[in-house]
Amino acid sequence: MNYSYTPQSGAVKFTMILSGAVFALMMVLGLLMRAAQGEWLDIEPELFYQILTAHGAGMVGTAGLSGAAVMWYFLGRHIPLTKAVFWIFLSLFIAGVVFILGSIFVGGFAGGWTFLFPLPAMSGGLWEVGAAVSFMLGYTLIGVGFLIYYIEVGRQIIKRFGGLANALGWQLILGRKTDDIPPPAIVAAAAVVIFNSIAIVLGAAVLVVSIVNLLAPEFEVDALLAKNLIYFFGHVFINASIYMAVVAVYEIIPEYTGRPWKTTRIFAIAWNVVLIFVMAIYWHHLLQDTVLPAWMLITGQLVSYFSGIPLLAVTAFSLCVYIRGSNMKWDLTSALLVISIAGWSVGSIPASIDGMIAVNKVMHNTQWVPGHFHTYLLLGEVAMSFGFMAWLVRGKNIRTLSGLDKAAFITYVFGAVGFILVFLISGAASVPRRWAVHLPEWILQDRVGTIFAALVVLGTLGFVVRYVLGLIFENQASGDQISGDQNSGDMSSGGQPSLGQKA
Amino acid sequence: MMFRYGVAAVFMASAFALSPFVVSDPVLHVLVQIPLLLLSGGLVASRITISKDIAYVYLIIALVTLIYWMLPRSIDAALSSTWYDVAKFVSLPLLVGAPLALSWKHIHPVLRGFLKANAISMLGILAFLYIHAPIRICNSYLVTDQQNLGYGFFFVAIALSLYWSWPLIFGAPTQRPPQRTRSQHLSYEGTSSMSSHPAVD
Amino acid sequence: MTTRLIFPLLAALMGGGFLWQATDGLRAITAEEARRISVAENPRSVPETYLQAMDGAAIPLLPQKNETVLVEFIYTSCGDICQVAAFDFSEIRDQLALENADVRMISISFDPEQDTPEQLSYYGEAHNADGTLWTVARPVSLSEDQTLSDLLELFGVTVIANEWGGFEHNTAIHLIDENGQFSRVFDTDDVDQVVATVLESS
Repeated sequence: MNYSYTPQSGAVKFTMILSGAVFALMMVLGLLMRAAQGEWLDIEPELFYQILTAHGAGMVGTAGLSGAAVMWYFLGRHIPLTKAVFWIFLSLFIAGVVFILGSIFVGGFAGGWTFLFPLPAMSGGLWEVGAAVSFMLGYTLIGVGFLIYYIEVGRQIIKRFGGLANALGWQLILGRKTDDIPPPAIVAAAAVVIFNSIAIVLGAAVLVVSIVNLLAPEFEVDALLAKNLIYFFGHVFINASIYMAVVAVYEIIPEYTGRPWKTTRIFAIAWNVVLIFVMAIYWHHLLQDTVLPAWMLITGQLVSYFSGIPLLAVTAFSLCVYIRGSNMKWDLTSALLVISIAGWSVGSIPASIDGMIAVNKVMHNTQWVPGHFHTYLLLGEVAMSFGFMAWLVRGKNIRTLSGLDKAAFITYVFGAVGFILVFLISGAASVPRRWAVHLPEWILQDRVGTIFAALVVLGTLGFVVRYVLGLIFENQASGDQISGDQNSGDMSSGGQPSLGQKA
Repeated sequence: MMFRYGVAAVFMASAFALSPFVVSDPVLHVLVQIPLLLLSGGLVASRITISKDIAYVYLIIALVTLIYWMLPRSIDAALSSTWYDVAKFVSLPLLVGAPLALSWKHIHPVLRGFLKANAISMLGILAFLYIHAPIRICNSYLVTDQQNLGYGFFFVAIALSLYWSWPLIFGAPTQRPPQRTRSQHLSYEGTSSMSSHPAVD
Repeated sequence: MTTRLIFPLLAALMGGGFLWQATDGLRAITAEEARRISVAENPRSVPETYLQAMDGAAIPLLPQKNETVLVEFIYTSCGDICQVAAFDFSEIRDQLALENADVRMISISFDPEQDTPEQLSYYGEAHNADGTLWTVARPVSLSEDQTLSDLLELFGVTVIANEWGGFEHNTAIHLIDENGQFSRVFDTDDVDQVVATVLESS
């Protein structure tokens, strides 16, 4: 069942350098926007919206990329994966990024990462049709890369477990006797493969329709259907990045607690529920669209209430149980991974509040919404990725959190919490989101936000530099040995942690 | 074997028989006649083996020809010109159905999966465009029929995605043990006994 | 290795070239787009043809002296697109009249059996087509080898019956230049472009 080898640690490590660097760069763009809103920096609104578009597209893309790298790495412990597929995935991703960057900074595209119809087509002369087409082609390339990635993962899971139903733990749920329980990483992967493939197939459809509409405007687009498809795609995709990265928690935390993370019946049920819910929660972006049928809006509100439950009940709760009384060792890896689950759980609260129709109508276009998704991302997916990076260069010994590690961790978490709180407070005070120029009354908050953002950037630079240095030293230390297999050394039983006494 | 040829001949004959009716109904034309032609070619070729080296050439020929017949102007041309209609009857079985059937088993499984996903996505795109386009996409068909075709694409997309994803979720039917009478229970045991062999890297 | 790589690559190149050709360089995926490109690149000679105008008189389709002729195809009982197109046509007429352009505009019925001169003049009245710049006509008394279907084929207009006894057809404005060449096709609502083109040529 377990594979002690990690199939492509080289490719994954390279991907994480890329992810770390782009995360840092995109955070700098975010910092620039907050500084411009606080009038510490003079940025033309045209450039501001280009930066906003780059920040959104870049962050969502990188979250997806890093999540995919994390999942690929750990799935290698349970199923054989074709190396070439990861390289094709990565190449398509980079090609897509080139198209997107060109569209924004050469073509001047500033229609937002959501490319919501009809804004890309009606730029008011700010960008040519070609820029919008290039942006969407870039997305399409990235989507194709992800699709190929999921097809490979899905195919290998099916080969090994005989069908996605088994991999989702249905035998366990239905109470059938089986000695072949899929590990948590497989359950998560099976769910992500299903919902994100659906999102990408629909996303590709709406992207191509939008491209056709840009090139041949006589092919009109149903704006409401396009909006539904775009938000479905975008929302599921960004959620998938977290659900992929959380595999790092399932696979790494046992090394620290000494208890293997097991697939229980409730765990399997929770992931099956997530599989459905994750596809329905995008509705909270459409609660202001009163033309949608009422049942959709009401379902949207209900689903966004309940969507937090399977996550909180299972991942967060079991994390607490595993940590409790386990003599947990705290280093940068474990601290970041635990904070990521905490941030992810806490982030569901502002999301649920935004999911209430009455609140949504006044709050959705305020900074409350960036407040909510920055909680998920800064203290969720991104923290998971940084935790994974720290683990990749950790070596065999777990050292306690100290010195520069501690400083970077505290700077990052303190900065992130402050940054998010400013967003939430501003949102509650009705400061609009997506505005390049702010009223004088909002500038104090913007400046406080800018300072916190600078702390986040500082902490991030610490993590990324530490990771790159770690890779360099590791390569020197291991000499001509194949790098990246430090895990196979200390984990004789592969997926099971060596520290575990009872497996 | 004779049976397959027989079915292929019936499909081909039905496609011919539909000719007078496809003039006024795009659903009949695109979602019945064209699939019949593809299937007749596929059935004839399905048991023939070809060299793996040439498989991707066959695939490309099939895809290019299929894309050509997806162009609305090609459909219009097939209705207004006998030559194009003849080309349709010849090329869809011989240059799409047959090469696709010949090459399919040699195509890398990831690419096969991608082609299936792409087919669903493409049908969705066509549905979206045909249902909403205020312009007439084919000069030979009424706008209302064009919308019907759009809904047709939508239903085919749903049907194909169910048909293709069912075995992914519950295990492919070919992996079931030969006794079909106790299928439900056996399918689970069958698949799990299969999967108890650890995959080799 | 060579066969595995080179031949598919060749096939893809040839396939791409074929599709490029089949779509006029990715410019036309519908028959209507193809018609417009074909006409603009290879103008078609319009043969000498006479039509019966709404006042019963025979009028030439071909431009006389240095004038330009704008043609649209209609049927008078049309309830939707033709009416909108007629509104655009009258807009063009008004602008060209102001400029004193050397132009004739003809709405040609492709339903000559129903559209008697009387019917045609009702349609003309409804849209303020008074016969000076713009008249409504039908193709009758065409010579033996010239039929309505030839005319429609020349202009690339497809007419099909709809379920309410009317017709659907590709609606557009067709320009015959002073040399008697059918050389441009416009969307009916492309008023500015039509006016500019006519003024340029006259």
